[in-house]
This record gives sequence, C-alpha cells and structure tokens, in this order.
Amino acid sequence: MRVPIGWLRDYVDLPDDPQKIADRLAMLGFPVEQIETRPVISGVVAGRITTLEKHPQADRLQVASIDIGADAPVVIVTAATNVAVDQVIPVAVAGAHLPDLTIEPRKMRGIQSEGMMCSAQELALPGEWFEDGIMQLDADLPLGSDVVAAFGLSEAVLDVDVTSNRVDAMSILGIARELAAAYTTPLRAPSFVQPAPTDAPAGDLPRVTLESADCKRFIAQRIADLPAGPAPSWMRIRLALAGQRPVSAAVDVSNYVMLETAQPLHFYDAAKVAGRHLVVRDAHPGETLLGLDGIERTLDDRALVVADEREALGLAGVLGGAASQITATTKELLLESATFTGARVRRMSMALGVRTDASSRHEKLLAPALADAAAARAAHLLWALGATVYAPQITGAPLCAPKAIDFDARSVERLLGFPLEDAEIRRALQALGCTIEPLAPGHMRVAPPAWRTDLSIPADLVEEIARIVGYDRVVAVNHAIAPHTIESHDFHVEERLANALAALGYREIVTSALHGARLFDILRRAGLTPSHLSAEVRNPLSEDQRFLRYSLAPGICEYLARVDAPMRVFEIGHVFMRENGHVAEVPAVLFAFTQEPGDEPAWRDSGFLRLKGDTQALVRRMTGVTPTAARDRRTGAHPGKSAAFLIEGREVATCGRLDPRAEVAFGIRRPTYVCNLYLDSLPDLVIPRYVPRPKFPTTYRDLALVLPLDVESARVAEIAQGAIGSLCIGVHIFDEYRGPQVPPGRKSLAVRVTLQRNDATITDEQADEAVGHAIAALERELGAQLRT
Amino acid sequence: MSELARNLNALDERFAAALAQADDERALDAVRVAFLGRSGEVTVLRRSIGRLPAHERPGAGKEINDAALAMEARLEDARAALQRHIFDADLAQSIDVTFPAIAPVEGSLHPIRRVLNDVCAYFERRGFSIVLGPEVEPDYYVFDALNIATDHPAREGFDSFFLSDTLLLRPHTSPMQIRTMQLHTPPVAVIAPGKCYRRDAVDARHLYQFNQIEGLLVAPGIHFGHLKGTLLGMCRHLFGPDQQVRFRPSYFPFTEPSAEVDTTCPRCAGFVTQCKMCGGSGWIELGGAGMVHPNVLREVGYDPETVSGWAFGFGIERLGLIRYDIDDVRRYLENDPDFLEQLG
Ligand SMILES: [Zn+2]
Repeated sequence: MRVPIGWLRDYVDLPDDPQKIADRLAMLGFPVEQIETRPVISGVVAGRITTLEKHPQADRLQVASIDIGADAPVVIVTAATNVAVDQVIPVAVAGAHLPDLTIEPRKMRGIQSEGMMCSAQELALPGEWFEDGIMQLDADLPLGSDVVAAFGLSEAVLDVDVTSNRVDAMSILGIARELAAAYTTPLRAPSFVQPAPTDAPAGDLPRVTLESADCKRFIAQRIADLPAGPAPSWMRIRLALAGQRPVSAAVDVSNYVMLETAQPLHFYDAAKVAGRHLVVRDAHPGETLLGLDGIERTLDDRALVVADEREALGLAGVLGGAASQITATTKELLLESATFTGARVRRMSMALGVRTDASSRHEKLLAPALADAAAARAAHLLWALGATVYAPQITGAPLCAPKAIDFDARSVERLLGFPLEDAEIRRALQALGCTIEPLAPGHMRVAPPAWRTDLSIPADLVEEIARIVGYDRVVAVNHAIAPHTIESHDFHVEERLANALAALGYREIVTSALHGARLFDILRRAGLTPSHLSAEVRNPLSEDQRFLRYSLAPGICEYLARVDAPMRVFEIGHVFMRENGHVAEVPAVLFAFTQEPGDEPAWRDSGFLRLKGDTQALVRRMTGVTPTAARDRRTGAHPGKSAAFLIEGREVATCGRLDPRAEVAFGIRRPTYVCNLYLDSLPDLVIPRYVPRPKFPTTYRDLALVLPLDVESARVAEIAQGAIGSLCIGVHIFDEYRGPQVPPGRKSLAVRVTLQRNDATITDEQADEAVGHAIAALERELGAQLRT
Repeated sequence: MSELARNLNALDERFAAALAQADDERALDAVRVAFLGRSGEVTVLRRSIGRLPAHERPGAGKEINDAALAMEARLEDARAALQRHIFDADLAQSIDVTFPAIAPVEGSLHPIRRVLNDVCAYFERRGFSIVLGPEVEPDYYVFDALNIATDHPAREGFDSFFLSDTLLLRPHTSPMQIRTMQLHTPPVAVIAPGKCYRRDAVDARHLYQFNQIEGLLVAPGIHFGHLKGTLLGMCRHLFGPDQQVRFRPSYFPFTEPSAEVDTTCPRCAGFVTQCKMCGGSGWIELGGAGMVHPNVLREVGYDPETVSGWAFGFGIERLGLIRYDIDDVRRYLENDPDFLEQLG
C-alpha cells in the first residue's frame, strides 16, 4: 500500500527522516518494501492570474500578470491554453528548481518572463491524471504560499506491507494510529461525525432491504446538489501520490475515504436506482451484470449483489455496475457504506476472477463501526464541497463493542519470557485504543477499540503489548529439553544413503517434481509406456508443471542430456502415483551415470558391471547384506542388460543400461546406466559381526571352463560351491571369453576356487580332490568342459 | 712368502676384480656364492690346508677365516655403496609437481542437503528429533488445523497447487506441526525439513519448488525468549559467532504472537551500503516464527493452559544463499556441474 508521508503528517507528528519512519513501521509489523523519494522542487508558490493579454509579437503566446502575494505582480509569458483570469495556479518564480530545470527570467519575443506556470507533470505528478496544461489549484489557497510544502510534494511515499489480519491498517489513518501509539504522541483523527442534515424536506429517501445474512450493516445516504468539476487540488494530489487516479469530485471523495479509513464506499446515481430501493440479495441464476470494468458477467446464486427493484446494480463489496454509475451529469447520489461477510466476498471475488481495492478490504474482517465512520466522513467532505446531505439510513444489526478480554498480566511473561508492570501493559494497550478496566493487581478487562477485529484472546493482546514495548525486549535464553521419544530414523536413513552415494562418486542433484506432457511424448517416441498413472495438478502455473513425477528417472535423464558430458549423479525425493482415486506418495532413490562408449564386444558391458558393483556396495552399506542379482526386464531398461537385486526374496533395487531408444528420445548421447533403489523395501541395517578367519593357509585352483552361452556365472559358482562344501571359501569368476578359441555356441569362463581347512593346512591332494568334485558336478549339470 | 700367503693374495686379487665388476644386487650375490658360498673359493682353500707345508698348517685355518671375514665386510660395504648409489639416482629425479592431478571420481551432496545437514546437526545436538512427512497433504493439515479456516484471507498467501478440492502440494512444512503433535504428547521438540510447492513465477528469488525447515518446541514454560535463544544459536552455528537475531512483529494465523526473524548480514555486518545480500540494511530476513496459537494446541488435544510452544518455518534455499553467497535460487534446480563441484 502506498502511504504518502505528507498525508500521514496530517494525523501524527513524525520524524523528518523517512527511513526512521520506515524502520519504526517495520518493528511494528508493517515492513516497508520501498521508500519512494520525491524529486527536490523549490520556489513554486500559489499565484492568481490577474490579467491575461495576447502577446503582441506572437500569436500562440499570452502574457499573464500574476499576484503571488508580493508587492508587485509577476509577469509570465506562456503558451498554455487552459489559463484564464482569476485562476489560482502554481508559479515557479525566478530561482525555482523543478525536477528538470531551474527557472530564470528570460525574454520571450521581446517581453521579460519572470517565471513559469507549472503543469502537474512539472511538479512530478502523473501528468495524464491532471489537467492538460497548467495545474489548477484551490481558490482559497493563500497567494504566495509554498505549493510544495502545502501539498507535501517533497515528502517520500512509503510502500507498506500490511498483513491480512490488519485490514484496519490498510489505510493512512490506520498506519498513523500505529505510529502515534509507537511514538506515544497524540493522533489527530479527522471528525467522523455526520454533518447536520439538511432541513430540506426529506422527499423520497432511499429504502434498504437486506435479504442476505451476508450483509451485516448497510448505511445508505442521499446526497444531492453534487458539486460540478474536479475535487479540490489537495485531495487530487493526495490521491495521485497514493497511486489513485483522480476522476471527479464525488468519485475522488469515495476513494479518498477508503484510502483514509480502509472502508470502501460505493456511490449510485440516485436517478438510476429503480424505486430508490437498494436490496442486498443472492444473485438470481443467469442474471447478468455489466461491471464498471466493462465486462458483462453471468451470475449464479453464489454471487451477492446489491440490486434495485429491477436488476442487480453491483457485486456486493467487489465491483459496481455500469448502469447505476455516477457520471459528470449526476446531480444526486446514494452513498453505500456497508459491511459484508468477508468469506462471501472472497469466494465471489475468486469465483468471478475480479479483485478490486474494495474486495481486498471487504474480504477481510472490516469492523462494522467503520461503515458508520466512513459514511460520516464522506458526507462531511461532500457537504464541505457544497452538496446537500440528508440523514443516513442505517440497516442491520446494532453496533456492539468488540468483546472484552480478561487479561492476566502473567501471560506476558509466560509467552514473552519477561515480566511487565501493570502500568506498562496499560500504557501500551491504551496507546492502541483499548479501554482498560482494572480488576485486581495483575488482572484487567481489556476492550479492544471498535476498528480492531483481530483481537480476541489474551495471546493477541500479548502480541500488541510486545509490538509497542518492542520485540527487542525479548531476551534470548536457552531451554533444557526434556527427553522425548520421537524417532529421527527416516531422516538418518536418507542422510546415510546420500553420504554413501557421494562416497561412491555420485553427485546429488535436485530436479523438478512437476513436469509437462512432453515427457509422455518422449516415452511414446521411445516406444515406451509410463510405468504408473500420473497425478495431475488442477491449477498449474504453466503447462510444463502439470504432472507430478512418478519416477525420478525422467528428470535425471533430461539432466544428463542437458549436461552432455559423462556424469555420475543421484537424487533422493518423493514420487507420486495415481492409484484408484487417491495419490500414493513414496520416497525414491535413483542414481545414474553416463560414460563414453567403450571398445568392447557386444556380449560384455563393463558399464553395467560397474553399476552393479555400486548397487551392491550401496545396499551393503545400507543394510549390512550383499543382495543377490537376477536377470530382470522392465520398461525403460535395456531388456538384456538389466538386473533386480534381492534380499530374502524382496526386491531392493533394479539396475541396468537405459533402453537405448529412451536415450535417443531424451537426447542423451552416451550409454546411460540407471539404478533404482526401493527405500521402502530396504531392511534395516544389520550390525556386522566380526568372524575371525581360520589361521591355516589357503590355496586355490584356477580352472578354464568351456560352457554353453546361456549358462550364468552365478550358477557356476553355486554348483562349484555346493559340490565342494565347506572346504571351499570362495568361487570367483574373473574372466569370460567368447571367440575362435572355443567351439561355436560356447564360452569360456576363468574360475578361481579358493580352499581352506579350519583345522589343519590343506594338502595339495585334498585340494585337487575337492576341485575334482566341482569339475565333475559342473560337467554333469552344465555340460562344462575343462579347457586345455 | 709362504704358499698360503701366495694363495691368499691371488684369491684377494680375483675377489677384488669380481667385486669391481659387480654393479647390481644380483652380481654381488654371485660374487658371494663364488667366493664365500658352500663350494666357493674360500672353501676350496680351506680344504687344501692339508696340502700345505707342515709348518704353515697350524695358523692356516685362522688366516683363511680372517681373510673370509674381510671379504665378507668388503662385500657388505659394496652392497651399501650400491644401495646408496641407487637411492642417490632415485633422489636425483624430479618431476613437475604443478602438472595437473589425476582426478578422483568424486561424489557430493547437493548444497541444499549440506545446509540442511548443518541445521539438523545443530538441532539434534540441542535435543530435537528430525521428522519427515508427505508433500501431498489434505487441506486439513495445511490450513484448517493451523487455524486457517476455509475463506480465511491468509489462505491467499499460500498460492498452492491443488490436486483435488481437498488435496494439495503442501505450500509450507507447518502441517508437520499437526502431524507431530497428534502422534506425541508433550514435551515435543522436532524439526521437519522438506520440499514445499507454491504457484510462484520463477525468478532469482523464487522457485515453485523449494525447501523449508519447520521447528517446533512445545513443553510447559516455553516462551518467546527460548525461541530467540534457539535461533540465535542456529544463526551462530551456521553463519559465525558474531551473528545477532532480531524479531519483528508479523502475522501468521497459527502463531500468536508472531514474528519475522532477521539475522545480521554476515557479509557486510551492516557496514556496506551497497551490500548485495542485505541491500545495506545490515539485516537479512530468515522467515516466520511465533508462539503456537492456542487454537492449534487445542486442535491436537493439548492444553494451552499447561503447555506453550514456539514454531518457526524457514526457507532452506535462503539459508544456502547466505551461507554460500549464491546469487540466484534457480541455480539449485539447474544443478550445473560446476555449481555442484564448487559447493559439493
Ligand atoms: Zn550486507
């Protein structure tokens, strides 16, 4: 919210330095986003044009004589066309500084011009919001008075953040009230008393009917004989500084009062309200309304409207209608100052997609008392401009004071950690407008002021007290935490996992959990189908954030394609699947690497073996158990180069070469290897137990076995181990060969069998005999032959 | 000259010649075998004592032994000299130590996790547990239970991604306050880190996907000062021993009183008017905090008369920006290899 400091000073005495004011506001809970300083302008005074003559030498120039309250008038040559005798205008006299120029006397076509008449633009106001030409000031401005000082044109404008609980402070007066309390200085609030109503005959006063409980209070007031022309210049300049475009006297008064008090008003052209009857009701389904914004909307009964006897005139608290809007020819208006249910206004504003200054205030908890105050203020301002004001008609529940709160002074210490004397508590709360009735020492009954709707429990008052005495009073202390039994297990699993993957040489990345439909195109191009149904966001900000990821793989693949260099990465994050009507969410872990293609035969893939090694090491680190690997096929993986890892029959990981079609579809230009770890299936870490090895020496035998191509290494190891029994402490397959040295359809495996006795040194004969059993079993079961 | 003396002289000459020829360890061994071995020349000489003139025989054994010992010693000297020579040659070698290293395969943790681990380490040391929770939440946990009823204006501040009328991606980690308190009775001391999502347009300061860390301490007698003490400790742990913490009033429906928490700018300590990190104010905003609202305590079945508590929710990205001088939050989701390498 834009807060011109010059306007604030009307209500409260403040330090000169805007930064000081901003700092104090921040410590009251109103952070200042920006301090907009105004350009330095000096030497501009109010003057009245006394004579105006055509320049004898120039058709398009005029020579004005201007009374600036000095002994002699100032003569100014001007090209402006909107000037006339008796106008009061801003005059930049010789020596004046304007944002872009310094004024000096100069001859214009033979006549000495001693200054310049100023436009709004020249006074650093938005030129298009004011007269085209010289700015018009109010006739009652003392001639020669400093225009910059009179209108606060040099004062900075603060952009203040107001939290949603403080709708009362979405106003200049609200901010002034806070500062007055903080500086313990009096507040000069304007009068909120209705002007004495006209004694003209009442005539046909408006009628109001509230058909919906969502209107709490409705003040209607007939105001006639509206002034023609613009609002006074002080009001127009204030509105402009606050960022509101001046329109006409009546509209400006309504905006001015809203900015001043936070209460939005609406003015109807009285002649356009059928039956002079205002009805607050639910919209009829199908009813249409052309808004002030030029948009016609079709309504349903969720909308709350203010209607006359014929049709809806406006959306209550949100937007007026075009049909009943006041115009330059409006002679008489009906003022509306109302309180609606915030939730209703908010829902309507969201459903219809229309947000206005009014709705952003009405949707919060505006105090009903503000409706009365704002009506009175507007009536007063219009009356001062010469309008005829009739008595207000108030409909709705009677005003009741906000509920008083029984306050125990000890709650200050309980919540803030430091005690306060009753007197200090009273001072702080009274400064904010609370009324206090002492009950007993340390006890009081606190009645919040009428404009505050956010104070209802003692904790609310504690915050108010803290704001005034200063949050700096809170002293940092340490607490002793009592033992409690909440587990940090999941976090530590994740932490260990991340550390283990980093130790294996993978870098952690974080990718987006939201993706677009493009992923499905990529999968389709690769001939793949998604492994799960995706959960979908209803209100994505952009199309590439429509779906929740069901796997970490696509994000990592896109990343690897983008980086386009060999990389080893991992990600830990949640994935989401749509499963019969609900969204399943599971933690997922994925690591992957790309490497330059190697020079190796098609039947060997060292990238896979490396990935398998990392997978087994990781699982061992996490569980204490080495998982077994088995051939696996699933979508996304190369069908011949993928494995599942099992612990006691439970799948804990799958890994493999990425389907080459997916690599191409994602745009990855290197072989890619991916492992999925299933965190939910991973057993807890088994603390390893140390088993001493027998102290007797080991021996080994190396065998070259020729086997059918489809025999898997694990089977060879298993049979050898089984045939020898406990004497065999390891079967290690350390090489594979395929090629001309072995018959077609066969391969050769190099196998080392390691043997050891736990009671004596094993002899060569014992070793040979044991290995002989193994060879026999391998021949029998797998058709293996010893290669010679 | 006696025959023995002649023989010994001749032996010595041959030994000296062989020794001079030997220029490595193996050659020295050969010399030893040839002269001092089981069937070497010294042994041959010893066996020939019987053929010496009778008067020479009595002292011959000792003389031969002495000669053998002397040869042994010379062999040892030669061996030592050879060793010295090898070392000298090796030590004379020199390489270009500025030549680029052979790079190890290095892994790393994401900067977000690194900050998070630092924060968690601090809180664990102070007796807090670390809890994790879902990212897709029913609106009950995100709003209603946190004193943000339907139509509450504060809902607007949480521009959330909705999956259905009631299901959304959590826009903050505060649902974990409710989940934790519903599961446990006081005292409760937890922090809850995790991903959050908001419909924010991405720029240097905003991401639609970000991380928060929630803190919650509920026990009898807990007040604002405890919150300040804890956060002061956290800031000093993360940013240095001179950090200060400041509370500013603010508004959150689930805390009362509420505060925005600032810490002193660790880069300029408020002395640089053009400081990029703090804009010259000397303070950096960390996030929101406050005393848990009585309605929230009641919602989870706690008695606001007997226990009180504080809670906070900070952005982890922001803590990282401060800790690592990161200029743009988008870098967290870009994972540029150079970024990962520098901060890993
Ligand atoms: Zn700084």
